[in-house]
Amino acid sequence: MSLWVNYLDQILLYASLALSLNLLLGYAGQVSVAHAAFGAIGGYAMAYTTLTHGWNFLGGTLLGMVLAFVIGTLVALPALKLSVEFLILLTLAVSSVIIGLLVAIPDFGGTYGLIGLPSANLFGWHLRSPYDWLLPAFLAMAIVYALCHRVGESPVGRVLKGIREDPQATEALGKNVFAYKVTIFGMTSALAAFAGAMLAAWLRLATPGVFGFAFSLTVFAIVIFGGMANLNGTILGAAIVVLLEPVLRRVVRMEAAKASLVQLIVYGIALAILMRVRPQGALPEGFSLWRWLRGERAPKMRVEMAADWEPETVKNVGVHHDEELPVAEEDRRDRVWHEAPVILQTHGVSKRFGGIVAANELDIELRRGTITALVGPNGAGKTTVFNLLTGAIPPDSGSVMLNGEELVGLNPDNVARKGMVRSFQDVRLFNRLSCLQNVMMAVQGQPGENFGTLAFRHGKVKAAESDTREKAMGWLRFVGMAEFANIPAGALSYGQTKLLSLARVLATEADVLLLDEPASGIDTKWVDTMLELIEQVRDRGRTVCLVEHNLHVVGRLADHTYFMELGQITAQGTIAELTNDRRLAEVYFGTT
Amino acid sequence: MLALTFETFRQLTVDGFFRGCSYGLLGVGFALILGVTGRFHFAYGFTYTLAAYLAFTFTFRGPTFPFWPSAVGAVLLAALAGAAIERGVYRPLAKNAGATALLAVFVASLGIGIAGENLIRLLWGSETQAYFGPQKKAISWWGVTFINFDWWQAVTAITITLAFAAMLRFTALGRRIKATRVNPDLAKTIGIDADRTYVIVFFLGTICAAVASFFYAIKYTVDPAMGTLPITYAFVVAFLGGTARSPIRVFLMGIVVALIEQYASIWLSVQYTQTAVFVVLVGYLTFLAIKSSAFMAKFNKGGRATPLVPSQAAEV
Repeated sequence: MSLWVNYLDQILLYASLALSLNLLLGYAGQVSVAHAAFGAIGGYAMAYTTLTHGWNFLGGTLLGMVLAFVIGTLVALPALKLSVEFLILLTLAVSSVIIGLLVAIPDFGGTYGLIGLPSANLFGWHLRSPYDWLLPAFLAMAIVYALCHRVGESPVGRVLKGIREDPQATEALGKNVFAYKVTIFGMTSALAAFAGAMLAAWLRLATPGVFGFAFSLTVFAIVIFGGMANLNGTILGAAIVVLLEPVLRRVVRMEAAKASLVQLIVYGIALAILMRVRPQGALPEGFSLWRWLRGERAPKMRVEMAADWEPETVKNVGVHHDEELPVAEEDRRDRVWHEAPVILQTHGVSKRFGGIVAANELDIELRRGTITALVGPNGAGKTTVFNLLTGAIPPDSGSVMLNGEELVGLNPDNVARKGMVRSFQDVRLFNRLSCLQNVMMAVQGQPGENFGTLAFRHGKVKAAESDTREKAMGWLRFVGMAEFANIPAGALSYGQTKLLSLARVLATEADVLLLDEPASGIDTKWVDTMLELIEQVRDRGRTVCLVEHNLHVVGRLADHTYFMELGQITAQGTIAELTNDRRLAEVYFGTT
Repeated sequence: MLALTFETFRQLTVDGFFRGCSYGLLGVGFALILGVTGRFHFAYGFTYTLAAYLAFTFTFRGPTFPFWPSAVGAVLLAALAGAAIERGVYRPLAKNAGATALLAVFVASLGIGIAGENLIRLLWGSETQAYFGPQKKAISWWGVTFINFDWWQAVTAITITLAFAAMLRFTALGRRIKATRVNPDLAKTIGIDADRTYVIVFFLGTICAAVASFFYAIKYTVDPAMGTLPITYAFVVAFLGGTARSPIRVFLMGIVVALIEQYASIWLSVQYTQTAVFVVLVGYLTFLAIKSSAFMAKFNKGGRATPLVPSQAAEV
């Protein structure tokens, strides 16, 4: 019996380590194979201070956590800009360096490691038998679980998932991706050290073998088996991986040496098969056994919902479907534009890529409560203008002033927080998050996105969260997609993704909205809805700049139009003035 | 004081060169696979081990075969195993997983690597086994010593690398592989069967691992865990050399890595030398990250490059 209790201890301790990895891998999408090495830092710190300085194991654990936090944070700095392959390589290298140093330093016992630790002393209680360990191991796991759950299922967790799905889009919504990545690396490293120290205290040894690369892979496998971004799944995964060996030995009656080999073969093959048949793991993201038992199944998108769904016609908008605008309307718009105050102004913004001039001395003005269009042939550099304005690409020279404040030199997240937000031509929704979550991510100033507030101000975070939900629902209703609130964005049709992307931009409540081809590629019957929505946005006093190919769209919306060719603004005025220009007509408009 | 004589230095350099031929070959194969197919093929280590065990078995177990035919047969069989992993596991997986294919393939290849190593333990036993090949002969040459196997390995490795480089440059197959590397979807539209090219690339890449494995085995021994370290070196060399670069460049990077390791042993005790390589790697990756990061762009106008994407294929 005590043998099975021992396995139970092992499950709890393995789960502790794997839970912290799940926060990093499943939620934030950072593929790290160095997690066991951070566990080793905790284990060795605890073992070394206990053996040589006679510390209590809790003191050594704390020291290990601090060390791991510092090292984890340092690792995260280069990890910021790395693609997945490089991140795997980097963590592999870091893991090799940490284990290599532990083996090489004679004080740490070389390849034999630190063995013969005294039994752990928990406030006078000596933990000797597997039974003694049951409660402390459970507590250790509960602490890690509670922390991971608190972070993962919160506004911070939502941002982490955003980074996993699309870091660039997350940044464009005003989130400091850099700070989140660094913090989550440091935090999960410290948690790994905690779990590693507990494991070493339970084993009463810390050796390179225990925390080696094979163990890293085991922990990785636990997370994958159980399901990424599902903490309960990780506990289940730990149970499966740990119990495989004794089940083979006792139930199938295999000899010990053979059983441990077959265990590894089985779980290796199972990993490969799992990726084919159920890549989301045993318990997929968002699955809750409790809700499932109560009969609440995750909402499934019915096929006809996407296919037959048509956007609601938007009310309160004067309908003017005439292709040719009356001259009086043209003049009125031109006058409105010239009278409106300038909110954004660029001066001589230039950018070269090698020998290619992407932007040459751009002077652009956006005026409050008006719609400005940027038109021009493909490759003229229209999207580059958005990249330059939002800081996604820093200009070589020139200035971008928003409400009299210089934006050049700021990162995209900073620009977004200053009140200028962009949408993307290729939409860039967070596909595995629900439509509601996509829009909630965009709401600015959420207290729950701050680690400190999250830790100490539960009530405030909760109140703000329901507030955020209300606001996001409001914007979903505005674009007529409220019934899709709980559907993952990846299941939407193309036209719907464009509407959702508009709702996401609007939810930032930014003054200036840069819309990259909001109506391109969608059904004609949808275009009207989209245009009416954009007009409503303008009528609420927001400033809109759009890149668009469709001249009907430009003609109907734009108060002022800039014409771009080869990175330069070659003409501006009302759309009628531009289409009447013979040269431009030949270059672009295709009418003579 | 460092008691570094010219003789020691010369010997270290020669040792580094021979060791580097092995690293280089591993890197060439891995870079070809990762660069063209975008598969993070962790089970490369398993096919490495498998080659040595097959050669060992053909020569010494059951109906024995002569030494060299066994070696060639083992290399080809291991290469087929590599191709089979692509065809049977990675391809259906990647088609199924879509955008998250990289992670799915990585996890599956971890699984195959773990299962494969332990399958070898189950079939051949966990102990280290001696591999008796041809007579090992020491060669002294201008005051440095090495053995005949080193020499053979260097010649083989260089020949394979040059052959790959020539194949990529001059043959129709090479053009197909390069077209697939740049853009598999576009390659399909001009009639290149990207799926088949992937299988061929796995076959060719695995040959590199198998040859390196064979020479390691005859010089030292065979053991089930022998693939663990080579896979790490293959990663390092392939990334430092550039996965979309010429095999010759990757091969030379293998020699550079081995020389760093050798020279590090002048100042560091032997336990630290391996760590030194990884420290260099971490430093290099940090440098790459800083080079492409936003805050560097502020100091160095226009310095912000595109985000790091090592291989075009990985984007798909």
